[in-house]
Amino acid sequence: MTENELRVVIVDDEEPARAVLREYLSALPGVRIVAECANGFEAVKAAAELKPDVLLLDIQMPKLDGFEVLELIERDIEVVFVTAYDSFAIRAFEVHAADYLLKPFGPERLSQALQRARERACRKDRPHSDLIAAARARKKPVDRVLIREGARVHVIQANDIDYIQAQDDYACIRAKGREHLKQESMATLEDVLDPRQFVRIHRGYILNVDRLARIELYAKDSRLAILKDGAKLPISRSGYARLRPLLR
Amino acid sequence: MHPIIARRERLIPFMLAWMGVGVLLATHLQASPRLGWGESLILALPWTAVYGFFSLSAWHICRTFPLSGSGTTLRLLGAQVAAALFSSALWIFLGRAWSLLLARDQRLQEIPESYDSQVPLFFGIGVLLYLLAVAVHYLIIAFERSQEAEKRGLELKVLAREAELRNLKMQIDPHFLFNSLNSISALIGSDAARARGMCLRLSEFLRGSLALADRDRIPFSEELALVRSFLAIEQVRFGSRLQVDISADDGVEICLIPPLLLQPLIENAVKHGIGSLLDGGTIVIRASRSEDRFRVTVENPYEPEARRPRSAGVGLENVRRRLAALYGPEGRIEVTRESGRYSVALTLPAPQQEATDAGKRG
Repeated sequence: MTENELRVVIVDDEEPARAVLREYLSALPGVRIVAECANGFEAVKAAAELKPDVLLLDIQMPKLDGFEVLELIERDIEVVFVTAYDSFAIRAFEVHAADYLLKPFGPERLSQALQRARERACRKDRPHSDLIAAARARKKPVDRVLIREGARVHVIQANDIDYIQAQDDYACIRAKGREHLKQESMATLEDVLDPRQFVRIHRGYILNVDRLARIELYAKDSRLAILKDGAKLPISRSGYARLRPLLR
Repeated sequence: MHPIIARRERLIPFMLAWMGVGVLLATHLQASPRLGWGESLILALPWTAVYGFFSLSAWHICRTFPLSGSGTTLRLLGAQVAAALFSSALWIFLGRAWSLLLARDQRLQEIPESYDSQVPLFFGIGVLLYLLAVAVHYLIIAFERSQEAEKRGLELKVLAREAELRNLKMQIDPHFLFNSLNSISALIGSDAARARGMCLRLSEFLRGSLALADRDRIPFSEELALVRSFLAIEQVRFGSRLQVDISADDGVEICLIPPLLLQPLIENAVKHGIGSLLDGGTIVIRASRSEDRFRVTVENPYEPEARRPRSAGVGLENVRRRLAALYGPEGRIEVTRESGRYSVALTLPAPQQEATDAGKRG
């Protein structure tokens, strides 16, 4: 963050909504608009390339909603949600948004939100918002997984995932014949995916049960999951215990 | 209020029946050698008429001892029999008094003697008649109660249906208002004239939806006008992302439909269809009629991979339930999703606008 200047990205799919923010921001000293985005993809791209201090983020947008954008951007970017829906406030609090503006709002309220964001950015002690918090706030399993490669975003439907393999700090997600790396722990993914469909069959593997063709005994206490596309994954003993109830 | 006295259509047959009893008694008296028809009737008719009125008092005892009450049957029987004996005794006494009164006339000298010879029989008849009146009262009470229960049941049903329909009628989505106000707030800074235009459109829409919601049926043209003003407001928000294509066959404007039936479908199309797409698209509205069926379809593009919105089903479900409540199997709703296009078709009976409706609106 440059000395005292706050670099802001506006994200809203409605032009009039962007216009309000533009007008209010232009009157505030020490604030610069570095980009205006009309959807979540543009927002993730702008966040990755421009490294702004604050995102003024609408929630209901096509393709990626505001919460999904927040999940995909660097953790040191402050997010202020700007929406007509008051029902998302608790969820916004759970993912540690800096503030929550309800449309329509006045310039004073925006200025206050930016002040709060500025203070938080200086403190740098913002707790990590993560997928788990987002999922808990959502109170149901995620139905799609978002992956950012640089400024690009891939949206993978949970149904399309064959299995997930642990790779150091990353999880390698196999879906539709492609592999995607996501910086997320296996435990987190296991936690947010639908437990009726996804099972941790091994320390290093999460399996989509729908892809399972059969199970072969490989050695004493050790089995192999044979997938419908022929892939073979190891099943640990505790993994088999978790898997078995789902096979009935 | 007494169930027989209160209603003439009951009191008249009741008293006529008593007159019948009077005639029977007169027939009996006349059969004895000393009395003629005239004397018999003049004694029996007023006498039974008085007893008829008197028997109406059975109602009070029936109310005190209702059949479904907690008291024992024995107490009930005891009370009614005692009342019958007492009433009959009173009746006999009145009869005696009446016969003596009549005997003051020289021509009716024979009456008291004839009367006295029949007293035991009359007493028995008096008791039976009173008990019969009791039975009639119990019947009427039971009948009234069941009628009232039925009426209350029907009233409840009507109330429940009205409440359901009221609930199902569209309530304006507050987020639509907030978003529109936000757009107005934006335009005030840059284009005051357009901001004013949007205020006017928004008022027009609000006034329209409030006015329509209170009516039973509206011509399709009025619903369409409301939809148009709604879409005009949304076009300010969404800009070129929202395109609209409306076409209605000749003659459909006068079809009568329940108010705000189309509106929730349009809201869904904007919110979950256009709103889910980066580049937006066109909402297509088609209305047609064939013979006695009115059909309207709303079609919009949507993003198949978008998250299932929680609220999307509510508006649609409300329309479905309203159609079912109003038309039963005659009202149909079909939803199709095909290659990125979402379509809802409503079919309902198509009565034409009636002259009375036009008058009512004035």
